[in-house]
Amino acid sequence: MTYEAQFYPGATSVAENRRKHMSGKVEKLREISDDDLTIILGHRVPGTDYPSTHPPLAEMGEPECSIREMVEPTDGAKAGDRIRYVQFVDSMYNAPSTPYFRSYNTAINFRGVDPGTLSGRQVVEARERDMEELAKFQLETEMTCPALACLRGASVHGHSLRLQEDGVMFDMLERVRLENGTIIVQKDQVGRPIDKKVDLGKPMSDEEAAKRTTIYRVDNVPYREDKEVLEWVHRVFEQRTMYGYKPAVQE
Amino acid sequence: MKVPIMETSASDTKKPIQIEIFPKRMIKPDTVEGLLNKLCSLEGIQRAFIQGPRLPTKVPFGPAVGTPVHHPSRTNVHFGKTEMGLEVLVGRITLELAGKEIMEEINAICEDTLPCGYDIREGRFIQTRQTVSDYAKRGPTADPALYGLYDPKSKVESQVNLLRTNEKE
Repeated sequence: MTYEAQFYPGATSVAENRRKHMSGKVEKLREISDDDLTIILGHRVPGTDYPSTHPPLAEMGEPECSIREMVEPTDGAKAGDRIRYVQFVDSMYNAPSTPYFRSYNTAINFRGVDPGTLSGRQVVEARERDMEELAKFQLETEMTCPALACLRGASVHGHSLRLQEDGVMFDMLERVRLENGTIIVQKDQVGRPIDKKVDLGKPMSDEEAAKRTTIYRVDNVPYREDKEVLEWVHRVFEQRTMYGYKPAVQE
Repeated sequence: MKVPIMETSASDTKKPIQIEIFPKRMIKPDTVEGLLNKLCSLEGIQRAFIQGPRLPTKVPFGPAVGTPVHHPSRTNVHFGKTEMGLEVLVGRITLELAGKEIMEEINAICEDTLPCGYDIREGRFIQTRQTVSDYAKRGPTADPALYGLYDPKSKVESQVNLLRTNEKE
């Protein structure tokens, strides 16, 4: 019997989107070149080699270990890349993803990553080229709307504030701006101006954002409308409280 | 020694009413200028507050600390002949009114000027009596129009703009 993973209960569009984000089967909406990505991450100069903290694993002569033999190292680990981070901030106003679903997506679909989830932001630490791979995936797919989500390494506040008049999430450092209907990145993650402006494409319309979001909202899909989700959340809470996550004890 | 009498009664019904205009989105300087200029032309507004997230001139923390920001919303706006530096992205406007008569006009102005939806609610948003900090800063004979406008980090001149358009005319 083949087992197909079930990621999230529910019949609403929000539940469906949550399943998509967790499983990684998301639609690709835009193209971002490697150089553009490197520029907005701001960790190294585009086109340069990845700096490394140790020699490639193949040259290091690792000790004999059955686990090492079983687990194939990621490309970044093989090459000895340094650890770098990417940090996403998502608006509360129908942004496609949320910190938890970015973390689920990262932890389930990528190896050698360390996702950290906070209320308004989500940071992933990984070997540099592994981190770039997942940052590119999340930026290019429907997990990100350029107006409602942003790469912010410092000063993340804005996710819980109202949107600006033009529909872009507030950023006191103005890393992105709306120009001629497209979102232009003009500063890197931490607010340093960049030489080349990076075009992230058109923002989603209000209707499209409401369709693609993973956020339950009373003005879109209310949480209480999703009966199956409620039932499962109640079940998890009850079993955790009554049986300490040991359903076998339950009569 | 004569002690100044301060308003202390909560049942004083002659107190001016306060309203808050709360747009559904944070508004651009141009829109703020248009809205406040129209509001300025109304008789009976005693005080106005604008609030919103602050726009720094430099990156305050992180690896790029100290880098200039140049946020386009941090600009100068004009109300009649008064020029004011806008240091926040405006998210709410609080007005103190002498009476309720101009509420309909304010509503009509908001409808004309604000491109997004908005709420107007009545409540207590600005101090009507001196706070302890106010008293310590300005003493017992302070102008009642400045009650509650005390900011320990700034001087009065940089935060408070007095529009005396009628007197000039």
